[in-house]
Amino acid sequence: MTLLELRDIHTYYGNIHALKGASLRVEQGEVVTLLGSNGAGKTTILRTIQGLLRPRQGSIRFEGRALESLSTEAIVRLGISQSPEGRLIFPRMTVQENLEMGAFSRRDSLGIKADTERVLMLFPRLRERISQKGGTLSGGEQQMLAIARALMARPRLLLLDEPSMGLAPMLVTQIFSIIRDINTQGTTILLVEQNARMALTVAHRGYVLQTGQIVLTGTSKDLQSNETVRKAYLGET
Amino acid sequence: MTQQAMKSGNILAAIAALTVLLFGGWSGAVIGWLLGAAAGLMACQGKKIPSPKTGIRLGSNAGLALGIWILIASLIQGLVLFPATGQSSLGVIQGLLFGGVGLVVATFAGWLMGALQGLGSKRQQATRAFLAVILITFPLIDQIARTNWTATVIQILIFALLALGLNIVVGYAGLLDLGYAAFFAIGAYTTGFLSSPQINLEWNFWLVIWIAAAVAALAGVILGAPTLRLRGDYLAIVTLGFGEIVPVVFRNLTQIQIYEPISRIFASLLGRPELAICLVGCDRPFNLTGGEAGINPIGRPTLPLIGTFQSGQYLPWYYLILLLVVFSVLMIGRLRDSRLGRAWSAIREDELAASAMGINLVQTKLLAFAMGATFSGFAGAFYGAYISAIFPSVFDFSVSVIVLCMVILGGLGNMTGVLLGCTIIMAADRLYLPQLAQVLKSILNTLVLPNVANPALRDFLATSIDPIQMRLFLFGLTLVVMMIVRPEGLVPNAERQAELRSPDEESLAEVRSQ
Repeated sequence: MTLLELRDIHTYYGNIHALKGASLRVEQGEVVTLLGSNGAGKTTILRTIQGLLRPRQGSIRFEGRALESLSTEAIVRLGISQSPEGRLIFPRMTVQENLEMGAFSRRDSLGIKADTERVLMLFPRLRERISQKGGTLSGGEQQMLAIARALMARPRLLLLDEPSMGLAPMLVTQIFSIIRDINTQGTTILLVEQNARMALTVAHRGYVLQTGQIVLTGTSKDLQSNETVRKAYLGET
Repeated sequence: MTQQAMKSGNILAAIAALTVLLFGGWSGAVIGWLLGAAAGLMACQGKKIPSPKTGIRLGSNAGLALGIWILIASLIQGLVLFPATGQSSLGVIQGLLFGGVGLVVATFAGWLMGALQGLGSKRQQATRAFLAVILITFPLIDQIARTNWTATVIQILIFALLALGLNIVVGYAGLLDLGYAAFFAIGAYTTGFLSSPQINLEWNFWLVIWIAAAVAALAGVILGAPTLRLRGDYLAIVTLGFGEIVPVVFRNLTQIQIYEPISRIFASLLGRPELAICLVGCDRPFNLTGGEAGINPIGRPTLPLIGTFQSGQYLPWYYLILLLVVFSVLMIGRLRDSRLGRAWSAIREDELAASAMGINLVQTKLLAFAMGATFSGFAGAFYGAYISAIFPSVFDFSVSVIVLCMVILGGLGNMTGVLLGCTIIMAADRLYLPQLAQVLKSILNTLVLPNVANPALRDFLATSIDPIQMRLFLFGLTLVVMMIVRPEGLVPNAERQAELRSPDEESLAEVRSQ
């Protein structure tokens, strides 16, 4: 079943045409990755899906519902949450308070409690730091917090923007294995990454974005063996 | 911790001694009562007090230390300073009497506060009750001791309302507002319109104060709407503009004539202006705000038993504004802990992230402006009725700045700090500085001037040594020093302190232990 479908999306920053007719599809239960170099428009796609940016043209459907005209608030409530690029956690709130903010769109305190427990199982490091201020965490811990906070909205579609950015290689491996766990527990994931190698190991399918357009798509296996991808994104010659 | 308690004890002692030196008489007893309780509280702060006995030991020690300073200051005041101002010496007996009573009262206040700290689970409640007793009995004690501070305290409380409201906008939601006095003006002028002969409405104050708050809140939304996309510096500039516009509008709404617009267009097309249908101010232009002269008189609150509040009788005014402040503190505390309060702190931290969490930025920001403005609406209504006259010049930029300074000096986002900052700035400005000026002048007149031969120098000394003239300088100096020594404010919000202080070992240990 198709969970999310973007059709011919055009998004602008003022006069800059950032997305030039991007289309993509995410099926229920999948991990789909979006590859591309700096400035290709990956973050723009995620922000457009969540309603933080408005497309000038095109349609976005989530379980058949049109998202283009909904507020971010309503979109979060429908079940799309995001761990933003650069781990925009709340630095002066504790880990606990950050997680509570993640559940801002929900009002079921019992469910929130259960989900807090669930994400702390996924990220035991956060439990150790539960009453520490977000800003005092290390980079890797902040990234974990950003993902955990996004999970607190109990999303059906989780948008992850560059979860590996600025992290040590060992932490990257750890984060990606957690991403896989989150997916096995039933959350569909749209993953934006520059680290194409890691992204393709967890994703089922992938899209390659270049200057605002999708230029290539296929299963992870296909992409891994694709000549262009190997040269441009996997660093092979 | 103990070191900090000693430090704050020294500060309190310095304040008490200064008060006695300046005011003399029974002021030692009054300040001993107020600061003795504060010293007792601070001595026990952050400590486990297993029984009232421990608290009594700590509290009365702190009170006694304070009292000794009051006694010393009383003696100096009576024996040295008094003659220096040209009055006859009070004599040792009287100095000892004033100082001794101050000492006993300070020790008692510290003793009582210490004892209450030892009450275990009821500690907080007991402290609050004692605080309430101090506040409620203050004007009575003030009257008995003849210190005449109640009028100033009313002024302090008016500004406390303003500072509490601004703290919502700046401290909680992180939106820098430089035009906050505009809402104060709107509250005051609403009261002026609705209960004065200006437009012949004499509505009841108890109704008008709510309308004033509502109108101010609406003005908050109207100001907030165009600033929603702005951040930081840009927002500050727009609010600054709003703060400048509002008093100017009130200053100039003196000649109003309103025509029905469609008939006016037709009339001008036909070239016969007299055909336009006039709605307001037809015979002669209507004077809404009274211009520079303002609105005067404004109706006063009336209560059964007490009757109409009079300008010279401070007691009813004091209790009314105290009630308003307490009500505001409770309301704002609830707001801060509510869902809305959490949304405020989220947008203060990071707007984009907050938005991604599903927080409605528009609604949250507008509510911050509206809520902040509401409390200055209360302050404006009270102010209008209390002074019984309002002028546009009262609400100029300096009010916005002073209130902002109170919030920052006390500690952004912390109500105790904001109230403390407000008390310190207002008391220094309205109470200590004028008194200091008076004392200095008397000393100058009796000791210095007769001994200066050169008439030019004498004139220079007589006119230039005036702390009132230096008040803005002193104020600025305080701010500069504060921002260097304690950028997070007197009673900082724990979050902000962590951010501003470099992570030295102490604060790291604190973070770990939390």
